[in-house]
Amino acid sequence: MSRPAHKRPEYHKINKDLFVLTYGALVAQLCKDYEKDEDVNKYLDKMGYNIGTRLVEDFLARSCVRRCHSYSEIINIIAQVAFKMYLGITPSVTCHNSSRNEFSLILHKNPLAEFVEELPAGRSALCYCNLLCGIIRGALEMVHLAANVTFLQDRLKGDSVTEIGITFLKKLDEKKYRRKK
Amino acid sequence: MAVCIAVIAKENYPLYIRSTPTESELKFHYMVHTSLDVVDEKISAMGKALVDQRELYLGLLYPTEDYKVYGYVTNSKVKFVMVVDSSNTALRDNEIRSMFRKLHNSYTDVMCNPFYNPGDRIQSRAFDTMVTSMMIQVC
Repeated sequence: MSRPAHKRPEYHKINKDLFVLTYGALVAQLCKDYEKDEDVNKYLDKMGYNIGTRLVEDFLARSCVRRCHSYSEIINIIAQVAFKMYLGITPSVTCHNSSRNEFSLILHKNPLAEFVEELPAGRSALCYCNLLCGIIRGALEMVHLAANVTFLQDRLKGDSVTEIGITFLKKLDEKKYRRKK
Repeated sequence: MAVCIAVIAKENYPLYIRSTPTESELKFHYMVHTSLDVVDEKISAMGKALVDQRELYLGLLYPTEDYKVYGYVTNSKVKFVMVVDSSNTALRDNEIRSMFRKLHNSYTDVMCNPFYNPGDRIQSRAFDTMVTSMMIQVC
């Protein structure tokens, strides 16, 4: 079960522009430091993972989510509660396959990439928001769910929407599942 | 309708310059270059008052036979210069002012792009389209 549902009294907010610019500076610096796009993506993912493993505690404490019984429930919580809480957007959810372990979060608006017009020349493989993938992966791992999280479509690469694909790797193990969600 | 729009950095080198009849590009570059002296003059002459009022619009810099040159300077000393056909009498001061404001907003967006290095030439597509729209715009 989740923790009791009283929100933390002090709920600090920071200026959105400051946050977006900080993230932009981070990615730009990584691009300067690493020549290959793959390396930049990898480091963004790694950073995100470290954030995610911590953030999940904050999320569980602050939100009053109950135990989830299916993958689709988890995805809905991520989309409707977590994204709303931390980014102020609600992506829509789609499911691809019949075994119901592959999902997509479709972001019609991406606040993180708000100021970015296009990817810099020669950086076509860069996943600008790969940090998000890492965060989701890390957070899910902390609740004993192994998942593959990648960008399937990116507005910055010319697609019409930004799509994050989440694939759950293992069937839910009842024992592990009982521990805590 | 503007015929030439230029963005000039604090150190007085061009960040962006575009003019519509491309044949007379050199003439416009020259005009913008000359206008910088007037801009400097205006800033130093009423610098104090400008800063106090936060008035960024400099107004008409100088008229020539065929054109009028308007100026705008941001708090970070980036200058916007716009050359307007003087036959176009319908263009009011207020409209010029709002055009500059639009230009300024667009420039701010360019600056916010994490992949743009301040001081580089502006190659942003969004900025380009905005300038184009201002040049075609019938006022």
